[in-house]
Amino acid sequence: MKNPDQKRHLHGMWRMAIFAALLALLPIRTHASFSFLPTSGTPSLGVQEQQFVTGTIMDDQGLPLAGANILEKGTNNGVMTDFDGKFSLAVSTGAVLQISYVGFETQEVTIDAGDTTDLQIRMALDSSKLDEVVVVGYGTQKRGNVTSAISTIQAEDIVTTTHSSLAQSLQGKVPGLQIRQQDGEPGSFASSINIRGFGEPLYVIDGIVRDGGVEFQQLNPNDIESVTILKDASAAIYGLNAANGVILVTTKKGKIGKPTFSYSGTVGAQTPTNMPEMSSAAQYLEMYNDAVYFRDGNHFITAEELQKWREGGPGYVSTDWFDETFKDHATQQQHNFSVRGGTEKVDYFVSLGTFNEGGLFRSNDINYNRYNFRSNLGLQLTDNLKAEVMVAGMYGKREYPGGDGFMWTYKGAIISLPNERPFINDDPNYPANIRNQQNPVLMSRDEYAGYTTNENKNFTSSIALNWEVPFIPGLEARASVAYDSRNMFNKNVWKNYTVYSPDLTPQVVNPPRIANAIDDINRLVFQGQLTYDKTLFEDHNINATLVFEQKKYDKKYAYLKREYDFFTTDIVDFAGGLQTNSGSEVEEASMSYIGRFNYDYLGKYMFGFAFRYDGSHRYAPGHRWAYFPTLSAGWRITNERFMEGVDFVDDLKLRASYGEIGENVGDAFQHVLGYSPAPNEGAEFTNGTVTGGLIAPGVINPNFTWVESTIADIGLEGRLFDNKLSFEVDYYSREKTGKLKTREGGLPNTFGGDMPIENLESEITRGFDFLVSHQNRIGEFDYGISVNMNLARTMHKVVDKPEATSSWDRWRYGFPDRWNDFVWGYDRIGQFQDQEAINQGVIHGGNLGNSQLLPGDYIYADVNGDGMITGEDEMPIFRNGTPKLFYGFTLSGAYKNFDLNAVFQGAGLYTMRFNEVFSQMFFNDGNIPAYFHDRWHLADPYDPNSSWVPGRWPANRFANYMQSSYRDSDAWRMKADYLRLKSVELGYTVPSKVSQRFGLDHLRVYVNGHNLLTFADSFVKQFDPEKHEGQYQAGYNYPLMQSFNLGLNVSF
Amino acid sequence: MRTRSIKYLYIVLLTGIFASCSNDYLDLDPTNKVPAEAVLSDPNGIRSYMANLYYELPIEDFVYFPRAGFNARGNTGSMSLSQYGLEAIHSEWPNWNQFNNQWWERGYKLNRDINLLEESVAKVEFSDAERAQLEGEIAFLRGYTYFALARRYGGVPLITENQEYTTDWESLRVPRNTEKQTWDFVLQQLDIAIEKLPEDRLSLDETKRRATKWAAAGLKVRAALHAASVAKYWDRAPLSGEAVSANLVGLPAAAASGYYQAVIETSESIMASGKFGLYRPEPGSPEEAAQNYQALFMDPNNALDEVLFMRGYGHAGGPLAHDYDGWNNPSQTGEGFPHTGRTNPVMELIDRYERYDNPGTEAPIVTTTDGQVHEGEFDPSLDYIRYASPEEIFQGKDARFFASIIHSGSLWKGTEIVIQGGVVRPDGSLLSAQGSVEHDGVTYYTYGGENANQYSGYDGTPNKTRTGFLMKKFLDEEARINTWLQSTTDFMDIRYAEVLLSYAEAVVESGQGNTAVATQALNDIRKRAGHTVDIPLTLENVLRERKVELAFENKEYWDLIRRREYHEIFNNYVKTALVPLLDLRGPEPAYIFVRKNVPGAQPNTFPERDYYRGIPGVNNNGLIQNPQH
Repeated sequence: MKNPDQKRHLHGMWRMAIFAALLALLPIRTHASFSFLPTSGTPSLGVQEQQFVTGTIMDDQGLPLAGANILEKGTNNGVMTDFDGKFSLAVSTGAVLQISYVGFETQEVTIDAGDTTDLQIRMALDSSKLDEVVVVGYGTQKRGNVTSAISTIQAEDIVTTTHSSLAQSLQGKVPGLQIRQQDGEPGSFASSINIRGFGEPLYVIDGIVRDGGVEFQQLNPNDIESVTILKDASAAIYGLNAANGVILVTTKKGKIGKPTFSYSGTVGAQTPTNMPEMSSAAQYLEMYNDAVYFRDGNHFITAEELQKWREGGPGYVSTDWFDETFKDHATQQQHNFSVRGGTEKVDYFVSLGTFNEGGLFRSNDINYNRYNFRSNLGLQLTDNLKAEVMVAGMYGKREYPGGDGFMWTYKGAIISLPNERPFINDDPNYPANIRNQQNPVLMSRDEYAGYTTNENKNFTSSIALNWEVPFIPGLEARASVAYDSRNMFNKNVWKNYTVYSPDLTPQVVNPPRIANAIDDINRLVFQGQLTYDKTLFEDHNINATLVFEQKKYDKKYAYLKREYDFFTTDIVDFAGGLQTNSGSEVEEASMSYIGRFNYDYLGKYMFGFAFRYDGSHRYAPGHRWAYFPTLSAGWRITNERFMEGVDFVDDLKLRASYGEIGENVGDAFQHVLGYSPAPNEGAEFTNGTVTGGLIAPGVINPNFTWVESTIADIGLEGRLFDNKLSFEVDYYSREKTGKLKTREGGLPNTFGGDMPIENLESEITRGFDFLVSHQNRIGEFDYGISVNMNLARTMHKVVDKPEATSSWDRWRYGFPDRWNDFVWGYDRIGQFQDQEAINQGVIHGGNLGNSQLLPGDYIYADVNGDGMITGEDEMPIFRNGTPKLFYGFTLSGAYKNFDLNAVFQGAGLYTMRFNEVFSQMFFNDGNIPAYFHDRWHLADPYDPNSSWVPGRWPANRFANYMQSSYRDSDAWRMKADYLRLKSVELGYTVPSKVSQRFGLDHLRVYVNGHNLLTFADSFVKQFDPEKHEGQYQAGYNYPLMQSFNLGLNVSF
Repeated sequence: MRTRSIKYLYIVLLTGIFASCSNDYLDLDPTNKVPAEAVLSDPNGIRSYMANLYYELPIEDFVYFPRAGFNARGNTGSMSLSQYGLEAIHSEWPNWNQFNNQWWERGYKLNRDINLLEESVAKVEFSDAERAQLEGEIAFLRGYTYFALARRYGGVPLITENQEYTTDWESLRVPRNTEKQTWDFVLQQLDIAIEKLPEDRLSLDETKRRATKWAAAGLKVRAALHAASVAKYWDRAPLSGEAVSANLVGLPAAAASGYYQAVIETSESIMASGKFGLYRPEPGSPEEAAQNYQALFMDPNNALDEVLFMRGYGHAGGPLAHDYDGWNNPSQTGEGFPHTGRTNPVMELIDRYERYDNPGTEAPIVTTTDGQVHEGEFDPSLDYIRYASPEEIFQGKDARFFASIIHSGSLWKGTEIVIQGGVVRPDGSLLSAQGSVEHDGVTYYTYGGENANQYSGYDGTPNKTRTGFLMKKFLDEEARINTWLQSTTDFMDIRYAEVLLSYAEAVVESGQGNTAVATQALNDIRKRAGHTVDIPLTLENVLRERKVELAFENKEYWDLIRRREYHEIFNNYVKTALVPLLDLRGPEPAYIFVRKNVPGAQPNTFPERDYYRGIPGVNNNGLIQNPQH
């Protein structure tokens, strides 16, 4: 057994070693002052007086800008900055220098006599962004010519929010990107990511479709150059499964210049946003006593005993199981180190990052560690041939106590009874055998419960060759091969331990077991691509791309588990008892032909056409291939003559797109007839020997094929008032046809065969999103505000259902042409105030009438007026648990060396419905939330004739005695709209004069915080409305965290 | 320039190696299916397929819970069939459980699997003997399947050939057969099975666990008795409606005689085969009888003479194991399994167990000195019989009571089981909530112990009995169960005692058959239970004997259904409990007992329509629905 300090020490060592190793690998700075020859023009030999100017060009952050163009206005005299952003140029006195760099506003500087040396010129970011290059499917496009709904977020806007999960760094910043954090468990990465309400998007990292959201979230945010969200039919070019939109990630590449070393690090502490408050021992016993009384007519505890619990004192101590199990806060830290630079021949970006997060258990047995590395190299092999070699790796390790996961321990902390103690007589030698047998204090410790480690190794690589075809200008050929590999190793160890009853009777619990789960995943993608980019007759720009792509994927899985006769060593071979194992292998293949053609006339009229012809292994021959075209068009209104007089409009563009996308989802091989193994569904024909079963084939579906989505989008975008105000509005709809469904309608249920999935249903999603932002500078104060919003709903169109048996059945269960987001429930109109009201009231209790009801029980509207509350009184009065509305706004400001950034994020139009402990009293015979104490009860619980005291909740009863009050109503399903201050960051950049004294180009320190403020219904807030209900919809998942961090950015 | 071109050519060729444009790139083989021909051409393939059919067979055993279905493992709540009738009640859910007991979709799925097997067997080469055996097994499985359907739904569509899938739904719809046709079909299938199946299989184990001639015969006895009873007692709860007028539910009274005859003939053939007998039929004492009877259910493999058909459970921790021990152990000996004490036997069953000193009549527990059966809350004015120890009150009861039920004072797994519902204070007031009484320097706790691990009843938590009793039958006294799926006790689905009792019932109900043999059958069972006095063959004696002998074997529920007794008994009915109290009023503390309604139990009523389940999916299958569903 390693002591935890020692462990931490080892982690520290490991980190140091990596840094040292990386330093050794870095290119040596031999060319400290490399200077470029002027690229164009010759020194002017004019008659004017010449003077020599030197200076440094810096970006908006004050970092030197290599490769910026400096041109003497009106001449050919120019030069480019060197690696250190320095230049020198001979110009005529009084000349105007034009300084330009892609992505920055071109600046003009007049050279007066005497302005000779060391000009410090800081460039401003180009807010017009018309020329900004946007990454789109299989290539890039100028922002101004884009004809589809695309959002892009750049590195600098991503890293304003520091978080272990990339998703959290994007939340609230991009219109139409719906992100909801589900779970705060270290290493769980359980944010749900959704574009425009469509569903889980496709993730494309550096041009290759890679694994899903969990992998995406584990990318090192510091490695990312930009993230592009393809929201409409433009995603179609990624074809396979792009119907829910695509998230395109581009990692940083090398750039010509001296090596820039960067370090960024944060250290912080985090604390849960919510922890449910459970009842104290006295509260619990009062309520349990009521429940037993209302059931059995007998009290659970005598009045004298109850009074002792109210008073406390020795032997009557109330236990707060959360306090016993959890600490207030956990720590996190991350460190990233990168070097970026390049020459004409080689450019490189190499990075290394570590992330460590601790958990909330007092035992300190939750931990997550991650290491990321990335090496992106560009090699100019010949004049026309460039190679890109990109390699990235990730190692993540998650550790937590117990073999079964956090949820069970958390549930233990919730339901354990407050009148029991974690240890008998508080003696740590005698762990307590408590009633629900889920003593969270023990379950949260490796030494008792065992542990789980979850190792995840991810390797991605690609090699690409780009060839600018010399004899056809504008033609470029590209071939790339990507190989990715993922390995997961999961180890669960369950230890047994002894617990004691109050009389010290021992009992051994938790039979010792060990399990290993091994995944091995391989993916190989080949892409061949031709691009032709040409301007014809000056005004006509064409761009064409043709791609061939094929992909193979395989996944192998093995699970092995053994039981111990007695626990010894946590290696499988040391367990000698029962062995169970399982395994599976999956293979997938796809092939595609892809094309895209773009045309624009003077940047005024733009047309695009793209197609994919896709084949998938999943379907029967004849149903494998499908063709999906997309059309788009754009009109830059500002380029029209009639707009010339309208000065306040800088840019205005109308665009529309329409296209089809296919998804190859659902179980493969629906067309193949075969028996399936069912080792768990066999028989013991001979005592002691189990014969595994084989299940007969179900019905096959030879026609199974692609799910198709048709997406239409119309958008308007523009910039006004000298680019100070910009906006983007989109309306969209997506119709998905051939949605998968196992048939319910039609087939008689005497047929008996398992039905295959078929392409049976359809739905339509409609919504709009917008982004408005304002940026300005007043004196030395720069500020920006940006607001984005997305509202979307989905409607069922074709639905496979048995025919309705009655008009009521159709009203209740008919789906076609209905929004999919309703939940049915009862309209709660009050509470029974007394027995008289119960006797006179509408029948709420079915067969037993109202005989079991008590004052305080909920009254529902008898919608059909039949004098009884039954299922027929349910109404579609609730929204479901998925937010329809997502919005966010970001505020940024900079004054002198200070910068401030705040992100607010909110969601709305949904409800939250917790099950189990939070909506059922004494669930699993456990403790109940403290809020239930505000319930109807007898003034004297021992006197049935005493008066009733009203409360928010019904009188305490066990679930099967509650009868009517647990029906789905607004008592249990609540509106969960919220707005929260997702993050705020305040930074200070040390003036370069100071930092340069330490040899640093750039030094910034900052503090930030996450989830600092939440605005929501005060009751709902305690559950954290952002968090999903989790497993069993019961809220047992790890709380979301509020965190505070201190950070440092350095480059040299 | 030229060398560079060649270089580019090489590069293009090299990258081409990674790409292949041929269409068979997409031709992958499935990795999760076995081709049909590989399964049915190999005896082991057929055996594996059979293993799954037996798994799906509707055997109402340790993993059958009406609410959750067959093969219900995991957190089912353990609401077993015995808690639906007059045998027991559930400690946590003492009220009418959600009455479900559906088996339609899975039933017809099993039916299709059997049809597919039959279709395939016809195409494969077998020896005549092998073919007959397979055909017999198919008939057995089919008979079992339709038996389970018939007793739930009445007449059902008889589909004996695999239907080809088509979206012409109308062509797939098969109307219901009458209930009579359905029962006749079940018996006819079992006749085929009896004719074609062997008497023995390769091993004794397999003989008892797979279909044989005698398993089929045993099932036929059960099925015919059900049909006979429905025919005879239909009028006790006649239904009406379209399904009744079309004879889809209901049997004519005239049919009863034929079905009873089938019970009698088939039982006689089993009895005459000489292959079966009762386990340890002649015990030396009631104590020995109790031990024998307990051992019979703890491990039927020691008593294979009594078994006609059983289901094996194996692989503790694996998928075929069950949780009967875990759910039902007394709380005091719960060894770490998260739940205990769920099945709580009720007085309605306890009273049925005779006393040896008064054979042939039930022996209600008398708690007061006046000898009357008093029911109601503790009443200080009543003269309760005072016992020095809590088990005394049960002395002299039938051995099967002690072998099937744990009571206050039982010794179980070496622990004395404490079940106590309160303490009567010296002043005559009752302490029944958690607390204690000091008396003569001794502290007496309400439930018989200070800590929850020291007693097994009445504190109102779900792990403790709320009737004063716990189930013992089937529980393995040697087992130490501290987690899920650790019980591997095998389940006797059809045992010889049931055949004898069915025979006796058929004889006494129909007046057919041999009364002397039937009387002996009845008394043989009693003799095995330690009785020494024969009783006459009367309906009352047979039915009481059946309740007692087959308690907790999931038979009583169907007895109440087939004999149409359910609605008569469960008409605002509350089951009763026995509450042991420690009485401090006398010179010495003594135990007294209170009979009262089970605390927390609400009145239950059985609606007559529930003699048949509603048929699901009538809007798709076009079937006529059962009355009032």
